[in-house]
Amino acid sequence: MSWYTPTGESNVTDRLDRWADPPLLVLASLADEPKHGYAITQDVAETMGVRLSAGTLYAVIARLEARGLIEPLESDDRRRPYRITMAGAEALARQSERMSKVASVARERLGTRLGWAGA
Amino acid sequence: MRAPLARAALALYPPSWRARYGDEVLALLDDSGGGPAAGASLAWHALPAWIRPPLHDRSDRMRASLATALMSWSMLTGLGLVFAQLTQLQGVNAPGHPELRWAYAVFDVTLAISALVAGLGGLPLWLLMLRRARREQRTRDAVYLLLPVIAPVAYLAALIVTIRLVGSANGVSQGWFGVVTLAGFAAAAAAAAGPGLALRRLQPRGPALRPAAVMAMAAVAIVVAVTSLNLWARNFAGYHDGTVSGIYLALVVTAATVTTVSAARGTRAALAQP
Repeated sequence: MSWYTPTGESNVTDRLDRWADPPLLVLASLADEPKHGYAITQDVAETMGVRLSAGTLYAVIARLEARGLIEPLESDDRRRPYRITMAGAEALARQSERMSKVASVARERLGTRLGWAGA
Repeated sequence: MRAPLARAALALYPPSWRARYGDEVLALLDDSGGGPAAGASLAWHALPAWIRPPLHDRSDRMRASLATALMSWSMLTGLGLVFAQLTQLQGVNAPGHPELRWAYAVFDVTLAISALVAGLGGLPLWLLMLRRARREQRTRDAVYLLLPVIAPVAYLAALIVTIRLVGSANGVSQGWFGVVTLAGFAAAAAAAAGPGLALRRLQPRGPALRPAAVMAMAAVAIVVAVTSLNLWARNFAGYHDGTVSGIYLALVVTAATVTTVSAARGTRAALAQP
């Protein structure tokens, strides 16, 4: 019996999908301009293809805010916008650099092996 | 009202979390429509929010955790004292279990150490608040702060008088024992609630909070170890079977859990990087 099953592949793919770490997605979403919760979910869904639920989003916002990586802006509305801090921008830049290196190595080696030119 | 499930799930969060993010989450649900998935997601993240609440205000978190830990620690210690009363002071020694005697000794010593650690950890903060209450002539806060002294003294005085009035050579009846025990828990609750209220009203900040929060965790660790011994003793101290002991042990486990979680939250806030 083979250990390989489509389900197994799906699990591995799911694990690899952890690259799409919600804190990273939120930081990336806030990198250009401040956004409130709904705008973040819309932006992440449209530009990164990941749907963040309300529970996940606010768990992440609470964690990032507590670590000083994002900060809330004053608002009269219930929709309070958040902006990335300098520490958050630095953390995002470091992580992006790391991911970029991994992506670069992966593309290069896949190109050698499969003749894949990438997207 | 839209997304009733998600709104209900929001009620599962700690009050401080709801105060900070509740309106924003409701606005998000209004915009996105919510639904069962949003409700499930919110409910799923509620438990971590209790265990690791956001540390926007570390002093506030330490104060809240200290007040809760003090109250549940007092209840736990009270339950431990009831256990001691029902076993050691009545000479319960199950035949064939020589370990019971030293287990009782360990129990007594650890309970005393836990009380000592809690007292030492909280003393600087207590003195700080008492000085401020006196300086600012806040009589009510001073009374709250003195409750840990007033309540036990009043209880012991009442206990002595009660035993003299209703006691016999064999002690007091079961009914009076129940009354005395409940009064003891009421006194312990008052003694613990006093500093808790003072913490909320005076809102102390600064370095005195940290040792109190950390020592509270140490006191809790010790008293929870005592509780484990208590639970273990149940297996061989014959008369611990029955409904009453079941209720008692459920109370012990509940108090131990609340105390541990609260103290851990306070310690986390105390040790977190500013």
